[in-house]
Amino acid sequence: MVAAMTLPKQKVAMETVELSVSYNGKPALKRVSLAFPANAVTALIGPSGCGKSTLLRCLNRMNDRIPGVEITGKVMLNGEDIYARRVNLTRLRREVGMVFQKPNPFPMSIFENVALGPRLHYGLRGRALQEVVEDALRKAALWDEVKDELHKSGLALSGGQQQRLCIARMLAVQPRILLMDEPCSALDPISTQKIEELIVELGKQYTVIVVTHNLQQAARISHYTGFLMYGELVEWGETRQVFENPTRPETEDYIRGRFG
Amino acid sequence: MWRIRLFDSLVQAATWVAGGLLLLTIVAVFYYLFAESQYAFQRKFPFGFRIALQPPDSEYRNEVSMDPTASLLATHREGTDALDDAEDATRLPSHEELSQMQALVTATAQTDDPRQLRPDALFRDCMRAPKRAEQGERFLLLAFALPHYTGNRMVLAWEPDVSFDPAYCPYELRLRLVRAPEGVQVKPLEIDLRRQPKGSLELPVWKARTQEEWLQGYLFELEARPTTTTTLATIQQFLMPDWAPTILYARFGMLPLLLATLLITLLAIGLAMPLGIAAAVYLSEQASPRIREWFKPILEILASIPTVVLGYFGVMLIAPALQQMFGEALQLSSGRGLLATALMMAVFILPTVISLSEDALRAVPNSLREGAEALGLTLAERVRLVLLPTAKSGLIAAGLLAIARVMGETMIVWILSDGTPTMPDFSSPAAALGTLVKPTRGIPDTIAIEMGNVEFESPHYGHLFLLGLTLFVLTLGINLLGFAYRKRAQVVL
Ligand SMILES: Nc1ncnc2c1ncn2[C@@H]1O[C@H](COP(=O)(O)OP(=O)(O)OP(=O)(O)O)[C@@H](O)[C@H]1O
Ligand SMILES: [Mg+2]
Repeated sequence: MVAAMTLPKQKVAMETVELSVSYNGKPALKRVSLAFPANAVTALIGPSGCGKSTLLRCLNRMNDRIPGVEITGKVMLNGEDIYARRVNLTRLRREVGMVFQKPNPFPMSIFENVALGPRLHYGLRGRALQEVVEDALRKAALWDEVKDELHKSGLALSGGQQQRLCIARMLAVQPRILLMDEPCSALDPISTQKIEELIVELGKQYTVIVVTHNLQQAARISHYTGFLMYGELVEWGETRQVFENPTRPETEDYIRGRFG
Repeated sequence: MWRIRLFDSLVQAATWVAGGLLLLTIVAVFYYLFAESQYAFQRKFPFGFRIALQPPDSEYRNEVSMDPTASLLATHREGTDALDDAEDATRLPSHEELSQMQALVTATAQTDDPRQLRPDALFRDCMRAPKRAEQGERFLLLAFALPHYTGNRMVLAWEPDVSFDPAYCPYELRLRLVRAPEGVQVKPLEIDLRRQPKGSLELPVWKARTQEEWLQGYLFELEARPTTTTTLATIQQFLMPDWAPTILYARFGMLPLLLATLLITLLAIGLAMPLGIAAAVYLSEQASPRIREWFKPILEILASIPTVVLGYFGVMLIAPALQQMFGEALQLSSGRGLLATALMMAVFILPTVISLSEDALRAVPNSLREGAEALGLTLAERVRLVLLPTAKSGLIAAGLLAIARVMGETMIVWILSDGTPTMPDFSSPAAALGTLVKPTRGIPDTIAIEMGNVEFESPHYGHLFLLGLTLFVLTLGINLLGFAYRKRAQVVL
């Protein structure tokens, strides 16, 4: 059990406090306290079923709709608990965007996919909307590939392009915190590389929290790494330190490939 | 091992047999409807006019009756050949033909009752001889006054039979003067009987003193020249606004039936679709699994209520309510009619619509819901902007299937529409309201009502099959469209 871990010099974007989650009485997360540094990439690693997705999904309350879920503890954002009553979910999700393991573009045009959010949330129309869409697609490194066919269906893109479209869709809503759940696991190596570069780039402006099974990937792209096992946070620290000099034997075993 | 293989091949064979049977059924139904509807195209188009010669001041003048002192004789020639031959068309009747007419008149003239002599009756009987549109007809009329006639003018008057409507007659009907008696000066005469179905014209008196002289009277010709083929005429009339299959000059205009069926369908679907989709959205997006578990069997029970029960339910509940609302203002005898039918149809189709729409919504992958949720869309926005557009093809397929079922549904219309073919009229709000609440009749109930007592293989019989074919083609087309949409739904998801 690790106590709340923060780095004193780093500004914290989001923080979980004693967060526990159970599905139908079966615990999936146990009193996890973890601070995510602002404007940095944090990777969450751990064996399958250890609760990485659960933790990530708690950060923008995507677990609420799952039947039989029970959540205790706090998730602090801007000094407020997002699980407090009367929290505006729309505002929360505008601030905390999310990308999923499987690309899930809506069955509409590329433009519409990206425009949906800003049009709805910021009432943008016409020229302003086009600019936001272009900007988001540029940030997601997709603009050059699709700028001539914005009215093609989003489903007609390749898997990697679809995932970048989903990232653009998220960026268009102008969040500060980006949650990514294994964003590359369904992609080929070249698409993966593109998305990794993208994450590194995004890490300069945004707080990125990424779940990954690929340890090399975590080592390549993240500044901080959290290691979860059996629903508990085992180790957390700067990525280099976690990978090169873990403080806990479980972490060492996992990283050396001895389990999971 | 071989047992399993045997079982597999048996199952496979059974599947093929079942599929073949189903396909065969569709083909057979189509073929049967098509074959039997051919009797509609063998339809004769009879026409009837009363034509009489009478004194100018006769009180019967406008009723076109016959004065015993004037005489009008008629005969008819038939066949297309003569008509196509321009020279022959203007040919005067031969002596044999005229003698035949004479024989005819002589035969009837022997009776005591002068009314038996009514040449108009004789003429009309000739006219009624049913003819198919391809065959033209020519009737010859001889007009003269009998020796004891005292007037110095006489009038040829004509009018159509009461139920004969020239508009439904696929012939050009012309009455023309072929020849005037010697020494009588009259201008050439030609009257278009379809333009002027009722009228009269004065002629200088010409008396025939002997029977031989009858033949020298005014010679008129009524020519019926087909304007179209039987097939085209049948199809044209099929689209006319009048369904009266049992009157003498039967009319098979199915437009009121078709429009009633379409209107009922439109109203029912217009009501059932929004309600059904809303319910489906609730069930698939909001309802807890417990509610869903309750709802599904209820839907199935509702969907399995026999439509005859629904129909009587409508008679007991909906019709009285409508009668109470509009009965006095519109002088309704009952509340049964188009609206009552449409309302019950909506109830009938609602379970199906909910079920199919829910399937369509459930087919939307959860990842899209989550994606929309993660974008900060509220439930209403998720439904409106992501769920419904994604499920659109499936929902349209559901709607099309519902349309096809409502169109073909017979019992409810039969019981609730009150069975009077009526042309919908939306020219004014009052007329529109009348159209909605007054009795009507659709295609399926017409077939059901009339098929029982129609003469086998008669034109009426053929027209009922033609109605069936129309309905089948409509529902088949809609179903195929539905399949296409369902295919598309699968491609999208
Ligand atoms: N919707 C759910 N309903 C019930 N149990 C769930 C649900 N989602 C996750 N769980 C359970 O919670 C635990 C943690 O799951 P989670 O998906 O967070 O793991 P994970 O670390 O993301 O695994 P993976 O690496 O395979 O994605 C697992 O034991 C899983 O069975
Ligand atoms: Mg996971």
